[in-house]
Amino acid sequence: MASRTQLLVLSLGRRFSQRIKEVILAVQDYVVLTVRGLAAIVTPPHYYRELLAQMDSIGVQSLSIVVLTGMFTGMVLALQSAASLDAFGARPYVGRLVAISMVRELGPVLTALMVTGRVGSGMAAELGSMVVTQQIDALRVLGSDPIRKLVAPRLAAGLIMVPILTVISDTVGIFGGSLISIFNLKLSWEFYWRSVGNAMVINDLVMGFLKPLVFGLILSSVGCYMGLNTTGGTQGVGLATTRSVVVASVTILSSDFFITKLLLMLFPVV
Amino acid sequence: MRETMRALLGLGPKAAPAPPEPAPGPRDPDEPIISFRDVHLSFDRPILQGVSFDLAPGTTKIVLGGSGSGKTTILRLILGLLKPDVGSIQVDGTEVGRLGEEELRPFRLKIGMVFQEGALFDSLTVGENVAYRLVEDGEMPEAEIEARVREMLGFVGLEKFYERMPSALSGGQRRRVAFARALVARPQIMLYDEPTTGLDPITATTITDLIAKVRDLDGVTSILVTHQLRDAFNVARTFMARENGEFFPRVVEDLSTLEGTEFMMLREGVVEFKGTPHELQTSEDPYIREFLS
Repeated sequence: MASRTQLLVLSLGRRFSQRIKEVILAVQDYVVLTVRGLAAIVTPPHYYRELLAQMDSIGVQSLSIVVLTGMFTGMVLALQSAASLDAFGARPYVGRLVAISMVRELGPVLTALMVTGRVGSGMAAELGSMVVTQQIDALRVLGSDPIRKLVAPRLAAGLIMVPILTVISDTVGIFGGSLISIFNLKLSWEFYWRSVGNAMVINDLVMGFLKPLVFGLILSSVGCYMGLNTTGGTQGVGLATTRSVVVASVTILSSDFFITKLLLMLFPVV
Repeated sequence: MRETMRALLGLGPKAAPAPPEPAPGPRDPDEPIISFRDVHLSFDRPILQGVSFDLAPGTTKIVLGGSGSGKTTILRLILGLLKPDVGSIQVDGTEVGRLGEEELRPFRLKIGMVFQEGALFDSLTVGENVAYRLVEDGEMPEAEIEARVREMLGFVGLEKFYERMPSALSGGQRRRVAFARALVARPQIMLYDEPTTGLDPITATTITDLIAKVRDLDGVTSILVTHQLRDAFNVARTFMARENGEFFPRVVEDLSTLEGTEFMMLREGVVEFKGTPHELQTSEDPYIREFLS
């Protein structure tokens, strides 16, 4: 009986160590792929046509969902914060609260999550289909480097377009908050925008730009990694798509915490 | 496919040290252009076990075997898409397992590959697919590239399909475009991975005639991987005959007279048979008899 228990423990231990090994190898692959992709962005040859196509896909085609998300987030934020601030007679601070929340947190995070859902999954599906139909092998046989041709333009487009989309989302969100403040909360236009202007400090701008850069890299690199790592035919493509959204979203949310913590240490709020 | 990812990143298994590279010099014309020596490869299970064979320039090797026997792996090893665990693979005097991804790119120019299902790029037109390698190479003027692409599409009988997207093509047409794409850089070696699988017999014959045409007219060394016996023997039997200044496919009935084509049969990663078409057909080996029946 004891030997059977020992065998069971041994077998579980072996499976666990195998799983740990797989996770470490996956992280190694992901890091190497991302570093090679980033290196390919800054070294020739460049695939400008691919880069433009990806910038269009990530940026222009995501604009409508990002604008809608930003607008409604800003409006809800104004309503919710007014309800809380009223208890302290601080309704005039609505603009300040909306602006800081949008620029520091909600703008970058929600934009990244929306783009992940729309584009990150698409990247995984497209590259996954190319893997299962041997198009990646064909690229290599025909003298192209798939990292340079497929990964680098996607990473570059993520790094360029997610910050731009975030700025748009922040602006639209603060504007949405102003609509609620003026028409619903009966605050004046000038007062709201002065409150927004007074709230913004350099720390907010650093946070508001750094986060979308990191999130853009995460969503595009995870999408590429999951796509290129697709196994098991068309069913595998579906799985890679789902995994890409889940992993990128969780990584974005967790990295948000660490970036915030780090930036608050470097630039304390006075 | 995970192996594809690791090979792409250069993180795959390292090949065992190969014998020292011979000093560069003029190649002996009788020296094999492709040479496998005791090649082993395993992933979760053994894929190839001690595979050895030679292929002389201008000849054809037809690799037969059931699904999962390791046929396609041989082609991927020749192209350097995978690296062997143990053993030596020499292609045109180069030890493939030693080359890194950067060195493999120019090396692969001498090899054309027709993938199963074609592996055409969905986002490019037929013309762009065929031109891909020349455009990527960047050495040929645009007008010359277009002329060469049209010539290649004419060779496979699809010159009118230049502007079409791959999604608008039938299975057979996709394979023929893949053929043109592989041939466009005038490779020394052609590799065919199940080029007739899933095609009707008439379309399959068009493809096997094309393989014979490339072999006979351009003297290209070929490896055909297939499990379609009928098409394998078609390639072996067909030769191009010149009549009134034009070439037509003709068929040799007597297998014992065939030269320049060798069959190799794989069974679970092990070479079960190597020999001429006649030797294959007259083999008494029970596995081969069962495979041929």
